[in-house]
Amino acid sequence: MTAALEIAGIRKVFGETVAIESLDLDIPQGATYGLIGPSGAGKTTAIRMIMSILFPDRGTISVFGQGSALKAKDRIGYLPEERGSYRKMTVGAFLTYMGGLKGRTRAQAYGRADRLLGRLGLGGVQAKKCEELSKGMLQRVQFVASIINEPDLLILDEPFGGLDPMSVRLLKEVIAEEHHRGATIIFSTHVMAHAEELCEQIVMIHKGRKVLDEPITGLRRRYDTGRVLLEPLDPDANLLALQAMSCVATLRLNDHGCELRLRAGVDPADAIRAVAAAVAPARIEFARIRLEDVFIGLVSESGAAAESHEALRTHLQGLSNTGVTA
Amino acid sequence: MSLNLQRIGLIAARDYKAAITSRAFLFGLLLMPVLLVMFAVLVPRILNSRSPQIVGDVAVIDTTGKVVPELKAALLPEEIARRRSVESDQGPLKPGATAAAAGQPIARLTLVEAPANADVDTYKRWLVQPPAAPTRHLAVVVIQPDAVARRPGAAAFGSYALYTSPRLDELTEATLRNTMRAALIATRLRAQNLDPEAMASVQQVFQPDAVVVGAAGERSASRTVARFLPFACGLLLFVGVMTGGQLLMTSTVEEKSSRVIEVLLAAVSPLELMYGKLLGTLGLGLTMTAVYVSISVYALAQFSLSGLLDPMLIVYLVAFFVVTYLVFGSLMLTIGAAVNQNAEAQALLPPVFILLVGGYSLSGVIGQAPNSAFSVAMSFIPPVNTFAMIARLSSIAPPPSWEVWTTLLISLVTAMLVVWFAAKVFKVALLMHGRPPTFGTLLRWARMA
Repeated sequence: MTAALEIAGIRKVFGETVAIESLDLDIPQGATYGLIGPSGAGKTTAIRMIMSILFPDRGTISVFGQGSALKAKDRIGYLPEERGSYRKMTVGAFLTYMGGLKGRTRAQAYGRADRLLGRLGLGGVQAKKCEELSKGMLQRVQFVASIINEPDLLILDEPFGGLDPMSVRLLKEVIAEEHHRGATIIFSTHVMAHAEELCEQIVMIHKGRKVLDEPITGLRRRYDTGRVLLEPLDPDANLLALQAMSCVATLRLNDHGCELRLRAGVDPADAIRAVAAAVAPARIEFARIRLEDVFIGLVSESGAAAESHEALRTHLQGLSNTGVTA
Repeated sequence: MSLNLQRIGLIAARDYKAAITSRAFLFGLLLMPVLLVMFAVLVPRILNSRSPQIVGDVAVIDTTGKVVPELKAALLPEEIARRRSVESDQGPLKPGATAAAAGQPIARLTLVEAPANADVDTYKRWLVQPPAAPTRHLAVVVIQPDAVARRPGAAAFGSYALYTSPRLDELTEATLRNTMRAALIATRLRAQNLDPEAMASVQQVFQPDAVVVGAAGERSASRTVARFLPFACGLLLFVGVMTGGQLLMTSTVEEKSSRVIEVLLAAVSPLELMYGKLLGTLGLGLTMTAVYVSISVYALAQFSLSGLLDPMLIVYLVAFFVVTYLVFGSLMLTIGAAVNQNAEAQALLPPVFILLVGGYSLSGVIGQAPNSAFSVAMSFIPPVNTFAMIARLSSIAPPPSWEVWTTLLISLVTAMLVVWFAAKVFKVALLMHGRPPTFGTLLRWARMA
């Protein structure tokens, strides 16, 4: 089967700045890819080149076997990070217009828009002007615009930014439905939880270069944290006694309970069973990888200075806390 | 790269619909005809209705003792109206026409005869009145002794001195001066046993409207319409291009600043977007031109002057509008794509405005001398050549066909070059944010694309 996207050795330079350097990427049809990296890493530039909004100085991009996305635009759905709408247009007119530009008839676009708006809790807004909607409602309308054409390739650049939890859940459900329908999904985000939940494969970009391209399952194995988080059922339980267990290397108390670092070679499943037997847990889990840990680890491998790692960690944590696009 | 005409059509239709239903456009569309009607019809009426008839006294110290009888006759309202009609070269008043029908209200001036040896200073003081005085003393005329008969050896006749009240308006003063001139000339002629009426009749030649005879036949060339038509055609071109160009620029800035541009670029190529926008506002300009041409044709028909308008002129007007619009519209579109806010566009607009206003300002000059070397040269220098040619085409002496087609060809090539340049800048500029660019930056972007 033809790949949904094939990128070979693309490079993009803006003035003195190298935005993308030697980027290779193959995305099979039906896959879900997460594109991750801090602000300025080159994610949006890469996406704009995939969409043929920008063109690489070197290298090739093939979308569904076509030499340019311009030839396959009707098969692509794109929700840019900086998305807008025509303020004076009604929602219905805006969506049928976008559908028309994507090769759909007015009736087709109107019908699908009506169905999707209802699915996203926006039934009855077709006649309202875009300027009359709240920011969250407008974001959902813009999401509908990106999938109005039932795309085979859906590119979402930070789709959940600024949305309330209910809207995030609805959007995730519709994205999953699009995936089940057969659409290939490229999802750009800095929130690891979203990427873990929605993506099968993670691609990390740092300073215009790809530093990781791996399935999420492999990533979990490779970046095994070796830590267990425990929240005891009894707040007065003696947690310090756990330090004497043979599977525990170190113990650190925190507000909710403690964090146990396991000895090398210990099976996490056995360790969790043993800890739960020693102290009745309200919650016990194997600590999952964090975006910044993986990222810092990769940057360390590339030999960057320690101060840079700390600055990067602070930056990534800031992004996660504020919801700013990475 | 192939262009999808359906997408271009959709973009054009959306932009056209959005602009033509906007309150600003409808207001602008209606405003111009309303202003023209007000200017042509209502304003003179309002001005006339608010100009009260001036009534007052004029004292005359006639040291010759001969002018007053002629002055009394010349001050009659009917006589003033007759002189106005003769001076405007419009032919004699029709029998039965009232004096007021000749134009502005005619002052009713009462002559106050003063003795020939009256003290001038006393009459100067006569002019100074309290504001509530029942009779208005408007002027004192002192006719010099040699105003009718020259002094021996003198080359010229004497004249008169005029003292006026501050309350005397310019129009009445002009009427008084004109009346004095007529009275003095008539008195001098009678003094030399000549008939003033016969002399006036001999000197009067009323100006007819020319009839232009060409291969296509004869057509009337009303001087008023001939003067007005190049100006009006230039104005149509200017207003259509300006309105369409401005809307194109502001809508592009809005799309860029509201970030809808990237959503659009996900569905269409930059060139499809640009051509769609250009076509949409071109349609808008053509609609505007059609409305104004229709109003003009209707207005001419109302005055039985529709024969003055050559139908081919409308065809040429549309053709020249399209090429002029493509040139200036593309430049304004480029500016719209390059900046982030309308305020930033103002820094880049002046050169475009100067070219546009420069072209329009040629209309009047070229309409007066349509076949002068300057007019012919201007017809071939883009981008002002379309204004020059439309002014020549609407004048009483249109240029030969080969010149018209050469101008059209030059304009088409210019339009293609400008659209090509605009497309290169448009592609790069659309996603550029930050500091507003200079013209140097635009050129660099064009090289980058």
